[in-house]
Amino acid sequence: MGMQSAISARGVTKSFGRQRVLDNLTVDIPSGVTYCLLGPNGSGKTTFIRAIVRLLHLDGGEMSVLGRPVSEVDKIYSQIGYMTQHKALYPDLTVQENMEFYAGLYGLYKQQRVARLDELLRMVDLLEHRGRLAGALSGGMYQRLSLACTLIHEPKLLLLDEPTVGVDPRLRQTFWDYFERLTQEGKTVLITTHLMDEAEKCQMVGYMRAGRMAAEGTPEEILRLAGLRPILRLWLAEPERDAALLRAEGYEIDVVGGVVLVRLEGHAQIKEVLSNVSPLDMRLAEPKLEEAFLRLSEAA
Amino acid sequence: MSHSPERAGVVALRVIRQLKRDRRTIGLIVFAPIVLMILFGYALSGDMSGVTLGLVDGGGHAGLRSHLESIQDFDVLYLGSESDAERLISEGQLDGAAVLGPDEVQVLLDASSLQIAGAIAAAVQAGAAKERAGLETAGRQLGEESAIVMRYIFGYDLEMMDTVGPAILGLVVFFFTFINAAIAFIRERSQGTLEKFMVSPLSRVEMVSGYVLGFSLFTLLQSATTLFVVTALFKVPLRGSALTALAVVLLLGAGALVLGCFFSNFARSEFQVVQFIPLIITPQIVLCGIWWPLQSVPEFIRPFSYMLPLTYAAHALRAVMLKGAGIGDILYPDLLALGIFFLIFFAAATLMLRREVG
Ligand SMILES: Nc1ncnc2c1ncn2[C@@H]1O[C@H](COP(=O)(O)OP(=O)(O)OP(=O)(O)O)[C@@H](O)[C@H]1O
Ligand SMILES: [Mg+2]
Repeated sequence: MGMQSAISARGVTKSFGRQRVLDNLTVDIPSGVTYCLLGPNGSGKTTFIRAIVRLLHLDGGEMSVLGRPVSEVDKIYSQIGYMTQHKALYPDLTVQENMEFYAGLYGLYKQQRVARLDELLRMVDLLEHRGRLAGALSGGMYQRLSLACTLIHEPKLLLLDEPTVGVDPRLRQTFWDYFERLTQEGKTVLITTHLMDEAEKCQMVGYMRAGRMAAEGTPEEILRLAGLRPILRLWLAEPERDAALLRAEGYEIDVVGGVVLVRLEGHAQIKEVLSNVSPLDMRLAEPKLEEAFLRLSEAA
Repeated sequence: MSHSPERAGVVALRVIRQLKRDRRTIGLIVFAPIVLMILFGYALSGDMSGVTLGLVDGGGHAGLRSHLESIQDFDVLYLGSESDAERLISEGQLDGAAVLGPDEVQVLLDASSLQIAGAIAAAVQAGAAKERAGLETAGRQLGEESAIVMRYIFGYDLEMMDTVGPAILGLVVFFFTFINAAIAFIRERSQGTLEKFMVSPLSRVEMVSGYVLGFSLFTLLQSATTLFVVTALFKVPLRGSALTALAVVLLLGAGALVLGCFFSNFARSEFQVVQFIPLIITPQIVLCGIWWPLQSVPEFIRPFSYMLPLTYAAHALRAVMLKGAGIGDILYPDLLALGIFFLIFFAAATLMLRREVG
């Protein structure tokens, strides 16, 4: 990859009793990217994240985190932000007190803390709720506070286990813009989600099944792997003639109800197609990651 | 890993903020000791052999007086004034007193022994009825009937409260700190905050220390009010320094906290914590030598008594309060034993907060 890996796992295994939850898992997460971990319930996503921060010991395999073996990860906890799936907050403390507490744990004091608190509260849109008890917040607000507490010490590596559950679409967009800014600053974000539209925003996607990596790559690579391609629909003056022409050029063509469908290898092909024909109208149908994963899990 | 007092302070501050907001717990911390002491006081003062009754004769009730004098179980002590009677009752010298006057008969009763109080009240009522009947048959004209007024005096049997009071102070602190600490740690686990701690620069030693510090403030509040109640309301003497007594209680509370933290590892819910009470608290109550001397505990159990922190705390508190002992006098064995207990369970508690928390 050229880039240094933020997290690199080689043949990692973990069992709970007789159940194998991580099964010879190998993953490389380059630094400076948003990496999305997808997979059905119980596929081992949370277990993998907990193994990264050494909340559980691996049965086998090797793993390194920010260039250190996982056995030394406790020395770099101050560089890691971990948002648990069960949101770790104190319901009997206020929004502000929760944040102050976590700020204190990471040694942020006084002015530094005040500025950081304001910035994050604004980002998660809780500024005017800072005096409320966390236990009295709505589900989505609780989630937002949990994220703010995770970001407070400006970690280099973010491990976010379903951070956007219950968060409304507008704020989700704010979150993702923020994550993008973080990766531009060179930070690494590992995120789990069940929402495909979020996965599509990530630079890399890994699809876990039964403790293994079933498919991995950029969203486009995953689509190609599943045999899904973008389809260009063309409305033409003479569909039969143009269809034959395009077929002769080597395109995969279907004609359905007078509309010509071109299966593209990539978006770059749109221009080439248009140099051959001049449609009256056209529309691009993007394949969905969701469909790709359905296909991939059927195939497995 | 090097430990930072600042981070322990951050935890302590948080614990204090949380407890401060928990009004019910604070109420319990303050009032439960009082209720407990009244309960123990009543339950343990049923000594019926030989009732000593004070008598202040202001005239007008010869019949009632002779009736009271005639009761076999009563030793009658003649007193000059009502205030003497009151003082002697509260000091435990008298079980009760009758203050006879032309307009009114006052019965002063010791609130600590209800059975005796009941017997005295009944005797006075019977005597008054008898007196009235005697006067009527004699054909004398009845004046206005004297009212009988009952008044309870909180004068505990000194012997009993002396020995039990200081120990109750220790018991109450131990009980509440243990339960509250165990529940607090169960919550840290179920809320997921413990998992977050584990992945932060906060070490386990810092975390448990923070808890010890934060809880100490409340132990202090609780023991100060309890100490006040024991001495002011129940008249247990405080011959030594209150600060020495508080120091003993703080050390005991710290031990209870780490014990609670340690045992929280074996409970899955707050409900299960409550089930530890018979296992952890009851043996201490029975074996700590408050109710009966350690010498009367069967010999094969006695070593067990010497393993329980409350045994040492009760002993030390008694020495400070009743005999005026200073820190130096209770250093060995009491404070040493409490210190060792604390250190052992501090180590056990931090080790048990293992990485594999899930
Ligand atoms: N501490 C544990 N003890 C026993 N089994 C466990 C433990 N933690 C996880 N498991 C099991 O491991 C499997 C994987 O769990 P994990 O939480 O990693 O799944 P996940 O991919 O995060 O699922 P979800 O999408 O529901 O969050 C599940 O079958 C779960 O029951
Ligand atoms: Mg999960």
